Amino acid sequence: MGPVSVMIESALITVVQMVVALTASPFIVGLIRKVKARLQCRQGPGWLQPYYDLAKLFRKDVVASTHTSWIFTATPYILFASTLTAVLLVPIFLSKVPLNFAGDAITVVYLLALGTFFLMLAGLDAGSAFGGMGSSREAIVASLTEPAMILSIFAVGLTAGSTNLSTIVHKTALLQGIVTDPPPHLMALAALFIVTLAETGRVPVDNPATHLELTMIHEAMILEYSGRYLALIEWASALKLLLFLTLMSNIFAPWGIATEREPVWMILGVGVWLIKICGLAVLIGVIESMFAKLRLFRVTDFLGLAFILSLLAIIFFYILRG
Amino acid sequence: MFFDLSWIIDWGLLSVISLYGIGIFLPSVFFRNAHVQNLVAHGAAMAASVAGIVLGVAGLLAPTAATFSVSSNLPLLTFQIRVDPLSSFFVLIISLSGLAASQFAVGYVREFENRHSMAALGGLYNAFLLSMILVVLADNGIFFLIVWEIMSLVSYFLVVTEHEKAETRYAGFFYLIMTHVGTAFIIVAYLVFYQQAGSFSFETFRHPPAPIPEGFRTLIFATALIGFGTKAGIVPLHVWLPYAHPAAPSHVSALMSGVMIKTAIYGLVRVYFDFLGGVFPWWWGFIILTIGAVSALLGVMYALMEHDLKSLLAYHSVENIGIILMGIGSGMIFQSYGLPHLAALGLLAGLYHTINHAMFKGLLFLGAGSLLHATHTRNMEEYGGLIRKMPWTAVFFLIGAVSISALPPSNGFVSEWLTFQSLFLSFQIPDLLLKIILPIGAAMLALTGVLAMACFAKAFGISFLAMPRSAHAREAQEVPWTMRIGMGVMALFCIVLGLAPMGVVPVIDRVTASLTGISIAEKLVSEGGFALAPAPDKGFASISTPVLALLLILLVPAALLMAAVIGGRLRKRFYKTWGCGINLKPRMEYTATGFTQPIKQVFDMIYRPTVKLETEMLEESRYFAKRMRFQTHIEPVFQEYLYDPVVKVLQKLADRVRVIQSGSLHVYLAYIFVTLLVLLLWVR
Amino acid sequence: MAIHTDMGSQLVNLCSALLLLTCFAIIAQRRLSACVDLFALQSVFLAVTAALVAFLTGAYHIYIAAGLTVVIKAIVLPRILKAVIERLNVKRELELNINIPSSLLVCGALVILAFYITQPIISLGFLLTQDSLAIALAIVLIGFFIMIARKKAVTQVIGFLVIENGLFLGATAAAYGMPLIVELGVFFDILVAGLIIGVYTHRLQDTFDSVDTSKLTGLKE
Repeated sequence: MGPVSVMIESALITVVQMVVALTASPFIVGLIRKVKARLQCRQGPGWLQPYYDLAKLFRKDVVASTHTSWIFTATPYILFASTLTAVLLVPIFLSKVPLNFAGDAITVVYLLALGTFFLMLAGLDAGSAFGGMGSSREAIVASLTEPAMILSIFAVGLTAGSTNLSTIVHKTALLQGIVTDPPPHLMALAALFIVTLAETGRVPVDNPATHLELTMIHEAMILEYSGRYLALIEWASALKLLLFLTLMSNIFAPWGIATEREPVWMILGVGVWLIKICGLAVLIGVIESMFAKLRLFRVTDFLGLAFILSLLAIIFFYILRG
Repeated sequence: MFFDLSWIIDWGLLSVISLYGIGIFLPSVFFRNAHVQNLVAHGAAMAASVAGIVLGVAGLLAPTAATFSVSSNLPLLTFQIRVDPLSSFFVLIISLSGLAASQFAVGYVREFENRHSMAALGGLYNAFLLSMILVVLADNGIFFLIVWEIMSLVSYFLVVTEHEKAETRYAGFFYLIMTHVGTAFIIVAYLVFYQQAGSFSFETFRHPPAPIPEGFRTLIFATALIGFGTKAGIVPLHVWLPYAHPAAPSHVSALMSGVMIKTAIYGLVRVYFDFLGGVFPWWWGFIILTIGAVSALLGVMYALMEHDLKSLLAYHSVENIGIILMGIGSGMIFQSYGLPHLAALGLLAGLYHTINHAMFKGLLFLGAGSLLHATHTRNMEEYGGLIRKMPWTAVFFLIGAVSISALPPSNGFVSEWLTFQSLFLSFQIPDLLLKIILPIGAAMLALTGVLAMACFAKAFGISFLAMPRSAHAREAQEVPWTMRIGMGVMALFCIVLGLAPMGVVPVIDRVTASLTGISIAEKLVSEGGFALAPAPDKGFASISTPVLALLLILLVPAALLMAAVIGGRLRKRFYKTWGCGINLKPRMEYTATGFTQPIKQVFDMIYRPTVKLETEMLEESRYFAKRMRFQTHIEPVFQEYLYDPVVKVLQKLADRVRVIQSGSLHVYLAYIFVTLLVLLLWVR
Repeated sequence: MAIHTDMGSQLVNLCSALLLLTCFAIIAQRRLSACVDLFALQSVFLAVTAALVAFLTGAYHIYIAAGLTVVIKAIVLPRILKAVIERLNVKRELELNINIPSSLLVCGALVILAFYITQPIISLGFLLTQDSLAIALAIVLIGFFIMIARKKAVTQVIGFLVIENGLFLGATAAAYGMPLIVELGVFFDILVAGLIIGVYTHRLQDTFDSVDTSKLTGLKE
């Protein structure tokens, strides 16, 4: 194949990855809701409800505050674009994503931070105290999760000798998913799981289903949003959740991911990936049902644990390697 | 080469010095009108900056270092100048910042024109820029110390421009003492060199007749670290910085915070990598790295609690100096373990962050100057809603905020990413303890980065968004175009440094190659020049900011298009923000203090906050409060436990010494007489 | 190193890592009953580690020690402690000497320190379970730290028991267990210590209406 056809192929794979992520993300959100509903002995809304919600929100009128500026209007688009860019850097069904060279795990963390930054600004923009409170709380949660996230990914990256997600996943996948250092990887996985709960605003850090001012973090920041802006933000949140679940499943258990650009393997890869992230989503649903939300200042204890776990993972990596 | 580089360097140097000279003397000698003085002084500074940019670029491209020397009648002193890659790089930084700051100053100092002597302000400003240029070009110890001292004194005079305010005088005094303590340590370092090398020429520092013994090298390391560290504002020597930098006029603050503290970085790199030849034990690098990490974290933490916009930015300078030192420190560790590629990477990361910080911190200080100009207050709690009154300033400040928060695809992200990589590549070091500790440094850097982001979400959100919080903010107007251009130029530099790292890296590589002897530019730039990958093998990681920027720019219209396809035409209604049934007033908005409250509570080990709440109850019922006073302070740990004891001891000593100060002229004459006698006897 | 790739040594390392993790969980936990549960869990991990070492080295007396660990540390002592908690009605550690995130950081530093101290011994490389020694030291240090950082008598008992767990792990790892008679003596000591501390806690409650050991400073007058 010539370089041009390789480039076309890469572009095609990128677009497919984007479409897969965009389609699958609302489903995951719906799945967690369904699991929670079932555990509460409710029927719960249908499987397609998140898609209906998004479609409905896109068609609705937008009500914006007169106090807001262009930051308020731009934020949903920036958030959506930055989250989607981050998703494109993460291997989903092919271990070597075409955009691998454009960014590594640190870039993913900072791209998500870019979205968070604008969301924090948007929370302050309307002048309502709720938004400010949400932004303020998001600041502390984000600042405690990100070091843990970087350290946990690095603990895994040491095994592969890289912080590029594709390299990490590819090398682990070639080993047929045999994890060579169980203790460090388990600790890093546990740390990343706590980070996931915190970054995606799940119980016990935040509650995505509440609008009670004493407890909300993420919902408080986006309180002023409506219509298509809200749809974009909701979709971006779903994408972020998907991204974290993908990270956990593909870094620590890259079974079934395609290591070559073969259509059959890639289709199979999509299937296996869906099963893995659905499993993780069910787990999150169960955890959300089992635990109560922590007080804001107890959240730091929880996130401190994630940081220490990832640090221990690195220590153990070196110790076990001698 | 089409033209002769050495010719450009000669004339560049000459024109830089003479243009600044014109800027220093012309306004006061020939002009009486303050506005004309303003234009002449800052015009000369801009012209000299352009010449400086040319000189810097030529010096970086030149294959060999150019030296100039004028002998003087004084012993030990020759006016030696050397244009090598390291000094050219810093000349470039100073000149780029100088260009934008001078442009900004033309508009900014207009309100000073009637209150202060424009000839003095403009002249000192030019002298400040020239002294910084000479500091990085000097090639002789005594000459260096002289221009270093001139730089400190001139910047002191600039700090106390508004000397009618008591706090400005205090800031200036504090700065003057601290900077002289620092200079004293630098003098000690140079004296050790002199004692070993027999001359003050830097050339003999580099190649002393006999190798310098280990003990003296350590002494040089320590004294240079304290001396230059005081200027750079490393923790715990940073205490003067948040007082002095904000007190100066904003364009000078931009230069002090953006550039002057970098001369200390220059000094450290020059001494460790050039004079000492990059040969040192690992713990030197470890100390630099630790100081860097602690400075970065404490800098940003104190910045978060600051509601004076310029003090906040000054604390961020402490943070960013810390980040620079983390890069340099990791480079030194790699160097001592014989990993030159990684040493070059760490050094490159530090120097990249140096130029980035000069640009975005300069931009932010100019932005803060614009806010000060428009509202006449530095207190953030009195801003609010300025994005509508000052749209340009808001955009420029946002660019600076995104850059300093290291969010992709900004320039801050590129250099912090390089620093991350150099810390992560620590797994190649043979020592187990360092392997474990360097990733902790990376985690501290991550924490610093996110806290910086939170801090600038606060700074931008509270200052520019929502409703005006005071009459000052309600009556604010956009600043004149002269100032906007100054900010725009800085913003442009930031964007270029962020989107074209593959162009910038080979330039800085010339500097690091001259220091470590190894060029890593070819290994760093990959994917046909569109991505960066850290040395030594390209497999470790890579980023490409232009591609990231392209993706972000493409996906925003894609999202717009998608929204239009699914939802049709946008129908948007405006209504005031819901305030639970009450009309929303500015007093109900979240304040900067409230915004950082959770952070204060979580890190109370560091802040040690004290809270005082006084409630006055109604006489009729003790359940209804009439008035509440809430006060909260954070404990200035370093001042209380480190500086105050020292000051107390010094004061006690001074009290003792006072006995000899009797006030009688005859006694003083007797002192002189006795001294003379003792000296005569001693030299006999 | 040949033994390093060994499955058994990997498993021992995994188990000792889990032991260390439970220490961190105890630090991060405020509910006293949960702390006791975590201690029981830690003891189970300890027993598994000991059993593994016994299996790998053929030192069968360690099996007995492992069995005793399960009985005394995972069943009897937790029951006593739970009973104390139940009777005294102290559910939570409310005021801490050092808050939880800082405690976690300090413990992280302790772990690094432990590895740094034991590095010269480890690098001799004659032990099957070499890394366990470092982990054992880390657990002992963390146990001490728990006793310093927490105020309630019950958590201090747990800290003491954690130290003991660390010592036992160290003995198993470094010396493949102590002579059986010594181990039996140690277990008896612990049991007695547990009972005594239980009684002492009751006395504390009766005298000060609290199990906060910082009240003991009042006794000096």
